[in-house]
Amino acid sequence: MVFLTVANWVRARGPDEFWRKRRIFRLAAHYIGRRRNCYSVAVRNVHRALVYATKARKLKKQDMKDLWNTRILAACEQHNITAFSLKEGLDRANIMLDRKSLADLAAWEPQTFKCLAAVAQEKLRLDGFIDGTDKKEPTGINLNLKDVMLEAWLKEKK
Amino acid sequence: MSAAKRVQQWATFARTWHIFDCKWQDPYQSAEVIKKYLLGMHKPIYHPMNDCGDVVVCINSREIALRGNDWRQRAYFHHTGYPGGATWTLAWEVHNKDPTMIIKKAVYKAMRGNLQRRHTMQRLFIYPGEEIPEDIVQNVTNQIRQLRLVPTRLDHIDEEEVKKFPKVMDYPTDYVLK
Repeated sequence: MVFLTVANWVRARGPDEFWRKRRIFRLAAHYIGRRRNCYSVAVRNVHRALVYATKARKLKKQDMKDLWNTRILAACEQHNITAFSLKEGLDRANIMLDRKSLADLAAWEPQTFKCLAAVAQEKLRLDGFIDGTDKKEPTGINLNLKDVMLEAWLKEKK
Repeated sequence: MSAAKRVQQWATFARTWHIFDCKWQDPYQSAEVIKKYLLGMHKPIYHPMNDCGDVVVCINSREIALRGNDWRQRAYFHHTGYPGGATWTLAWEVHNKDPTMIIKKAVYKAMRGNLQRRHTMQRLFIYPGEEIPEDIVQNVTNQIRQLRLVPTRLDHIDEEEVKKFPKVMDYPTDYVLK
């Protein structure tokens, strides 16, 4: 009688090996060719992909910030106000909107953004804050902010 | 949605045609502005994967102004691919050969190198003079503001206006003008 099992036990590194490799193969399941079938190739590619994923978590935030900045800048140019004076005016008026909210308003609520730009402009005018870069005429004059009791609210100490 | 609003909706996703007068403009600074309109970065709905770019028509590209001694010093590199195939052409030579080339290369370089770049360049029309085909003129609805004022040359002003212009003093008769 030949005992093959014992001989196999010498080489087998236990049930762990199967599950260890299976964990990698699961992550490589959507690859093509030997990258998903051969363990030694798959593990290298999976490790590389995980490194990319780690780096991308930071890059994604940076990319979103760039996109919001581009959108806010585009909307600011439409209303003849610089991004800096918009931010300064909103801060002084105690309107604490971040980049994401401002970009969302610029893209999907253009009338709201126009009012925000006008509020920022009006607040800077009331404060006597002079920004040399805004040489063009501001928009939103026809909104008549003076008629909507905004002036008192803007003038009160924040 | 009312009829007027629906048109506004269509207009949001339509391509607008802009015209840009390159006369006396720095091509490398204007390229940044032209790029903004070509990619649609002047719209609050901009997204890199969103095809919202506009069309830009550049006129008077023969009249561009380079800074300093760039006409004599700036070299444009080209390689044929064969050994010894490298050539360096000076800016004034390139401009004499093709007056639209410098502004085209400037815009091309201003954009990021990706698969979309060559398709975006198709939306840029450059003309050396003021004559544009009629089918392009009728599409144009907007003009991009020039970056710098075009100065008027003294010899292009009428003789009578120059004489009428107030002056501090006349040169003495024996004064030799250089």
